[in-house]
Amino acid sequence: MNYFVVARNHRDDYSTSRLVVRLFALLISCSLIVPAQNTAERHDGSAPFGIRATHLLGFENAKSNCSGTLSFQDNLLQFQQTGKTNAHIKIGSVRDVFLGEESRQVGGLPLTLGKAAAPYGGGRVVSLLSHKKYDTLTLRYVDSDGGIHGAILQLAKGQGERVKNELIAQGVTINSRQDQSTKESATEARHENN
Amino acid sequence: MKTIKCGSSIAYGIALVAIILALPGRLPGQTAAPKSSGGNGASATRWSVQVDQVDPGNLGLAYSFQIAIYENLVAELKKTKQFQQVLRDGDLKASEVPNLLVLKTTVEKYTPGGETRRAVTTVSGATKLTVRSQLLTREGKVVLERTVNGDVRFFGSNLRATHNLARNIAKTIKQSSWAGSQEPTATISGQL
Repeated sequence: MNYFVVARNHRDDYSTSRLVVRLFALLISCSLIVPAQNTAERHDGSAPFGIRATHLLGFENAKSNCSGTLSFQDNLLQFQQTGKTNAHIKIGSVRDVFLGEESRQVGGLPLTLGKAAAPYGGGRVVSLLSHKKYDTLTLRYVDSDGGIHGAILQLAKGQGERVKNELIAQGVTINSRQDQSTKESATEARHENN
Repeated sequence: MKTIKCGSSIAYGIALVAIILALPGRLPGQTAAPKSSGGNGASATRWSVQVDQVDPGNLGLAYSFQIAIYENLVAELKKTKQFQQVLRDGDLKASEVPNLLVLKTTVEKYTPGGETRRAVTTVSGATKLTVRSQLLTREGKVVLERTVNGDVRFFGSNLRATHNLARNIAKTIKQSSWAGSQEPTATISGQL
């Protein structure tokens, strides 16, 4: 009798531990699913569009070569510089959108100095490996007086197309010169990679 | 005796206050004089300039480069303070501006480079731009024509060439002999 009771207790312990393991597995799978759902919501058309970008030049009230977030809100294309006021243009004022590719060295000044200090040309080898491709998004837009402005943004590879598609969805018409320019940019990128 | 000393010290004090009050009034006048006379001290007429979009010619210049040259030109010309107003292409206010010059930029030569090539080889991979810059009057008369170069050889992205080019164009215009003259009559051409 006693033996039976002990055996049954062992079985209960085993099933409890199995239950705990299952709960953990469920929790882990839930934690993996939730970010995936969030990402999916971002791609959804109704959700606010936000993308990391580097402002190279053109937007007033935004410094050159500064990072921030590019977003669409209330018919405005906004560039929110991290921790600072945002620069924005009306989507209706955009006349042309051009995509390009560029390869840039990563690491900034610290890596450049490190490469210069590396002996036996080691810095050159590092340079050969430390480059990254980016998309460049060039916008041509007009101000209230009709004056033409241009802005250039640097985006992660593949993100330029997303922004362009979003602009088209918001009603921006793109000129026929687009294709030619894309070809030109591709030629330049090829040149750069050689 | 004490009264005389007291009176003279009051007079000195009044004179000192008068000098102090007069001095700040004079200084702005001194600084304002060169401003009104322009670069060569020739006239009071100040010209405005309208920057046209870059003509890429038949060269395969990427659109980002064209926009970068245009935007940098506007910024650099504003920095020189040579012109009363720097207007953009298509600006409706241009028709109301009395003394207006138009800056046309045509790309003549473009050598695409690469940042990685520059970093790896040092001697190759320079991005070079050569443009013809023309300053024209409203009637289409060329008052200044120069060929200007801009490049990036060692450090920096390819777009830095456009910044250097715009700075060179602004410098050329500032240093040219027509700058500040009342009537842009002489045609100046050359290469920088």
